[in-house]
Amino acid sequence: MTPLKRKQWDRALTFALFTLPALAAILISVEIPFLMSVFSSFTKWNGLDRAQTFIGLENYKELFLDDLDMWKAFGFTLRLTLGSVLVVNLCALLLAVLLDSDIRGKNALRAAFYVPNIVSLIIIGYIWRFIFSAGFESFFQTTGLDFFMFSWLGDVNLVYFSVLMVSVWHSLGFYLVIYIAGLQTVPRDLIEASMIDGAGRVVRFFRITLPLIMSAITVSVFHSLSNGLKAFDVIFSLTNGGPGNSTTTIALDIYRTAFVINRFGYGTAKSVVLFLMILILSIFQVRLFKSREVEV
Amino acid sequence: MKKYTPASTFTTLILSVVALFYLYPLFLVVINSFKTFSEITSNVLALPKSLVFENFSNAFRIMNYPQYFLNTLLATAVGVSGVVLVSSMAGYKLSRTKTRYSFVMFMVLIAPMMIPFHSFMISLVKVAKELHLIGSPLGLGVLYWGLGASLALFMYHGAVKSVPQELDDCALIDGAGPLRAFFQIIFPLLQPVTVSVIVINTMWMWNDFLLPLLVLSGSKKSLTLQLAAYNFFGLYKVDWNFAMAGVLLTILPAVIFYLSLQRYIIKGMVAGAVKT
Repeated sequence: MTPLKRKQWDRALTFALFTLPALAAILISVEIPFLMSVFSSFTKWNGLDRAQTFIGLENYKELFLDDLDMWKAFGFTLRLTLGSVLVVNLCALLLAVLLDSDIRGKNALRAAFYVPNIVSLIIIGYIWRFIFSAGFESFFQTTGLDFFMFSWLGDVNLVYFSVLMVSVWHSLGFYLVIYIAGLQTVPRDLIEASMIDGAGRVVRFFRITLPLIMSAITVSVFHSLSNGLKAFDVIFSLTNGGPGNSTTTIALDIYRTAFVINRFGYGTAKSVVLFLMILILSIFQVRLFKSREVEV
Repeated sequence: MKKYTPASTFTTLILSVVALFYLYPLFLVVINSFKTFSEITSNVLALPKSLVFENFSNAFRIMNYPQYFLNTLLATAVGVSGVVLVSSMAGYKLSRTKTRYSFVMFMVLIAPMMIPFHSFMISLVKVAKELHLIGSPLGLGVLYWGLGASLALFMYHGAVKSVPQELDDCALIDGAGPLRAFFQIIFPLLQPVTVSVIVINTMWMWNDFLLPLLVLSGSKKSLTLQLAAYNFFGLYKVDWNFAMAGVLLTILPAVIFYLSLQRYIIKGMVAGAVKT
């Protein structure tokens, strides 16, 4: 081997040494399973035996033409996502603006709002089941307000708001810290210049601050969008998809299709659709929001 | 010294009240975990007449807490250290190597950031079964490597750019092998990213539910705390006093972790979020 060849060989070997462990891990846990899922989505497979019968587009045909439950889950997921993207971002932005001003105890307050976010969603769902039942009963006895006697988890019309409220309550702190970090990047001299030019608080917020924190908004909306579309844990422990099927999300529907009724092939078809949906919506959202970002 | 205006004091006051309301549900959990069953049924909002610690000892015993705590700790420790190891090495090398192959490899390794877990979980269970990674906390930890590596690798890849290339060259000239140069010289300099990666992955793995449910629920001995808590709640649909004690025990480790590392956690979560 010539010295040059040897050096190249050494370099390739080092490259492999550093990158192959990560590649192996990612192939095993994500990419091979993903490709297998795409393949399985064209098969009939009960998950128990190895045999997967190729049935072409049958799963997709059933999914798009016959599966009313899936479309109901689809609709609920979209409504939940839309609601939580709007509510969580508006609340978090408002709180962040207040917490970014010169006020006493802002670190303690920021930490307080973050607390629910460190608790797992499974536990959060369970805590709220307790609040909605035993807690609300006591609230009713104390206040006499009918509001607390509504069936917050049992009424098809109310349960949407319960799920929305609980997910927002859990995740608000996370978006809050993203917005606070964004607000801290706004240069002080720009704010001062606008004050000298006589811009009021409201004008200053919409004309100076908002455009400058657009990247924080992009990030925050991206996460709330994809977390909404993927909602599973909180539903699993709060309502388990009920009453009826009214709060079943796509992720829960996929889980049930595969692991409860053992239609693994059909479940993978649904999961491919979920993947495409999240991909398309995320790309669309990021494009739209990025185009509005400005540089200082 | 900063001057606070009356208006800002007013804002603090309002926000404090909002924060108290915000945390009130958690306060209810705490007070009810110390009550007797009949106290809960008569009034959830009242403070406990005396502190009933039996709730905790019962929950502790029935949940089989120590075993499941250790399982969760093992899975999280294996998962986090694996993610740090494979992604720091790959992120470093890919950032330093500026060839077409390196770029392709980078793309292959960060692609999973666009693939939601639910879209491949069904086949992941099959793969895990084939590789005998099912039914043990250790196997769960290993499965986390690939799930957490992409984001971590992306974060390391960005951070390596601010470490001067000369440092690598010096170490190599001094006779260190590539591995030693990385672990002794470069890796310590990447500490801020490492902290963020550890924080993000610890919070996620500790609180994760769906993957443990898919790969562990068959073997009762190897459950994680979240799974055990979920099963425990199933047993106590009405005995809220036990259940609330169970809730507190389950969230306690995360709360302690948060309180002791609060600054790093908030910083780490922001770093991870903004990177994607």
